[in-house]
Amino acid sequence: MESRQSGAPPPAEGPERETYQPGSQADFERLYRNTYRRILGTLITLVRDVPAAEDCAQETYERAYRSWSSWRPDAPVEAWLHRIAINVAISDRRHQRIREAGEIVRRLGRPASGADPALVAEQSDVFRAIQKLPTKQAAALVLRHYHGYSNREIGAALGIPEQTVASRLATARKHLQAVLGRS
Amino acid sequence: MSSDIERELEEALHRVLDPISARPIPARRAGHSRSAFRTVTGGAGAALTLKLLTGVAAAAAAVTVAGAVTTGSVNPVVWGQTITSTVESCKDNIAQSGGHGIGQCVSDVANTHGANVASEARHHGNPTSNGSTNGNGSGSGSSNGNSGATGHGKSTSHPTPPPRSGR
Repeated sequence: MESRQSGAPPPAEGPERETYQPGSQADFERLYRNTYRRILGTLITLVRDVPAAEDCAQETYERAYRSWSSWRPDAPVEAWLHRIAINVAISDRRHQRIREAGEIVRRLGRPASGADPALVAEQSDVFRAIQKLPTKQAAALVLRHYHGYSNREIGAALGIPEQTVASRLATARKHLQAVLGRS
Repeated sequence: MSSDIERELEEALHRVLDPISARPIPARRAGHSRSAFRTVTGGAGAALTLKLLTGVAAAAAAVTVAGAVTTGSVNPVVWGQTITSTVESCKDNIAQSGGHGIGQCVSDVANTHGANVASEARHHGNPTSNGSTNGNGSGSGSSNGNSGATGHGKSTSHPTPPPRSGR
């Protein structure tokens, strides 16, 4: 389980095979096109609705662009982007809690507004359970089970040791099994 | 057991995320509008903005209180009219007695203002109000009076002091 799963599909756009020149505007645009969908996929799992995920994706690339000249080509570029994206998601979740508190006060006595119908229609119990996990656990799960990262790659993306990644994944799976009633 | 949940996770993630991720890629947001907004509304930026606004509000309040105490009105136009009419009448008196310049008049108004503020604060007996208002009134009065007198009409009777050697 430490390496990429043999059955897992290779990354759709193979960004790790691309080479980029730090500070190059053209290369950053290419990086954006090559990685946007995968970063968005991660963020949708972490921030609960598609518009927020799209906003976070743009924020991620803004932050990345500001640091683009200092990015080191020897580091995996998508892991670097994922690290920024996860920090953006954590920040967004924090702001979301504040917004929700304000929203509760604002709509006292009125029915709650629904979530994104397009997303709800396709959501499963499993996906909703993943979204309710702590952000860092959900991030580890989506990197492992959607993007097919190894624990080492997840560790590089999150800036944590492999053992911590394994621990987070085990905790998350155990939690999901309990929530979903799987033995 | 573990592989079952892993397979279920992968299927669920792909079922939900693949269609959404297949949408067209939007243009990259190039501006820093959101970041600039967050600089003001979040983190250290928010603290700095709050301090700045508090400082401006405190300064405005101090000016309003000083003007209101002196003239009995919160309208700044009234403050200006009060000072102008007082200085004008003073100037007329000086002209009749053969003098010229408004330095002494401004000095008198400022000193009177300082004394009034101090008296008002003592009358209220509020320790906080007393301390801050008294300080403002006295300082402003004597400083403005001396400065105005030196610059406008009393240069011989109030010579400009020599520059401080410490600077």
